[in-house]
Amino acid sequence: MNRALAATADPATHQATDDLDLAVRLLAGTPTHEGRDPALLRRWAETADAFGAALEPGPCRARIVERDDGLEELLLARYTSRPATVEIYVDTVDRAEKLIDELGWRSWYPVGSVRGAALAHETAHEHFHHKETRTALKEAIGHTALRLGRLRVLAHVAGAEEIAAHAYARTVCGLGRSPLLLTAALAAAVGAPRREN
Amino acid sequence: MGVVILLVMAAGVAAMLTRKLPTAFALVILAVVIAFVAGAPLTGENSVIDTVLQEGAPALAATMIAIVLGSWLGKLLEETGVAATLVRKIVEFGGDRPVVVALGVLAVSALVGTVTGSAPAAMLAGLIGIPAMIAVGIPKVTAAGTILMGIAVGIPFELPLWQFFSTALELPVPTVRGFMVKLFPFALVAAVLYVFVESRRRGVEHTWSLKSVADKPRSPSRRQRLGDAPWYALLTPAVPLILALGFELAIIPSLLAGVLYALVTTTRPREMNKRLLRTLYGGFEVAAPPIALFIAIGILLAAVKLPGAVEALEPLVKAVSPQNAVLFVGVFTLLVPLCLYRGPLNVFGLGAGIAGVLISAGIYPAAVVLGMATSYNQVFGVADPTSTQTVWAAQYAGVSPQQVMVRTLPYVWAVALGGLCVAAATYL
Repeated sequence: MNRALAATADPATHQATDDLDLAVRLLAGTPTHEGRDPALLRRWAETADAFGAALEPGPCRARIVERDDGLEELLLARYTSRPATVEIYVDTVDRAEKLIDELGWRSWYPVGSVRGAALAHETAHEHFHHKETRTALKEAIGHTALRLGRLRVLAHVAGAEEIAAHAYARTVCGLGRSPLLLTAALAAAVGAPRREN
Repeated sequence: MGVVILLVMAAGVAAMLTRKLPTAFALVILAVVIAFVAGAPLTGENSVIDTVLQEGAPALAATMIAIVLGSWLGKLLEETGVAATLVRKIVEFGGDRPVVVALGVLAVSALVGTVTGSAPAAMLAGLIGIPAMIAVGIPKVTAAGTILMGIAVGIPFELPLWQFFSTALELPVPTVRGFMVKLFPFALVAAVLYVFVESRRRGVEHTWSLKSVADKPRSPSRRQRLGDAPWYALLTPAVPLILALGFELAIIPSLLAGVLYALVTTTRPREMNKRLLRTLYGGFEVAAPPIALFIAIGILLAAVKLPGAVEALEPLVKAVSPQNAVLFVGVFTLLVPLCLYRGPLNVFGLGAGIAGVLISAGIYPAAVVLGMATSYNQVFGVADPTSTQTVWAAQYAGVSPQQVMVRTLPYVWAVALGGLCVAAATYL
């Protein structure tokens, strides 16, 4: 077992980690943010989280498909735009539900909430498929890509949509903690290697 | 005798295909066996030891130097963050439009492809480019293919490659340059089409991945601690190209000028010596596999050019080589898959030997063989599941090289068809 895996061997160790810290970790691990100031990443994570939590709840219009190779692929859900489809990896969802019981986290993640969160998460990505939502997130974060006098081009912040999608799922499903906590615990439980790309 | 040589070549291809022998070793053994079969003496004129091994090994020396310099420049681009900065800026500007990001990464890959080739080129553009594309929703296979198609856009302007074809096919550099300029539009159109068509067909995808939350932020690398490269340093990959293409400067000085430009635009004077040496030694590591291959190719070329080998192979190869232009294009386009999986038309394998036979037996003018070899190289450089850049890009994106081959092959096959048409129309 390598050091990265060893560090995550106990899923419960994530319990003490703040949800926002997990969001910052997600951003820090996203390409293009290497070496960025952690305080800046924290501000972006906070803004993206608030943006996602405030997104108007709506039904999932995409086709829903169930798959059972999630633990192999280390995926819980996937959204594809052509055709608009949400794939739910039922084996990972089942493992997550078991893990919640094992860790005594049921008060945070009620029975059946993992599937609901997965659907909500991918529904949020469907929201971000629309230009207005993407632009609104960019404006909320306010990171500048280019400034020429009064002209200011806002930058896309990679990973912000993912944080917003998790925040949306947490809010819509009424979860006690972010789905990111469950993701980290699940990764440790199934021995997922640390993000490589 | 010719049939025996062809059987020996087939055995060599089998050894490479089944990975019983590394390509470089297989080519050297092949060369020695061909030389003996062709009746070459052990020593003296046109011999196994003095001609094939002694003269063949350094025959592509100029290419090897160009490869070292290209790898050195590649290391500098990596260490000074030029490639990473380009990708980061592209994501910041176009991140909410995945097609724009893919086109931007394609452009960066093309620039990188002009400097260096193979896996180092894929790594230079893909280390940040592939995850950046995936992060904005581009499907994994499309992302890996974008890097490879981008590098293929740069291949016609890869200066070490000009040197290779010039030396191996005994053609002046301007002839090689002239054909590459004609091949470039096909590679460019195919690559841009790939991005548009595949983006349209596959759309975007987002995953809730168990790997998305890192345990703890990784300690920043030396490059990350230094921050972005200045904007004028981002022009580095274009410097050798402008000098070689625009000012017709020789290849090695053009590459050296690129190294110098990267250095002075990114490095404080007191750190220059250290950085130059560190990246040069790093460049040697990167250049080692292609150099080994070029030594072997030089030996193989020397063997197939032996008078005995030419005499034996000429009637056989002549009988199966079409002279009609339309037939030439048709036959060699159909044979494109033979350059995959280290097949017999792989330019950096037995294909180099076959090219040597075609020229030394006088079956095709050297310029036509150049057209064939460069057209096949456009396919091999992108779609061959055994080429290091394809394997690296696919695995880094989390897909199989075969998936990338299936998706990219139609596009690069069309590029090969274009190249063969140009070769037939211009030189046959």
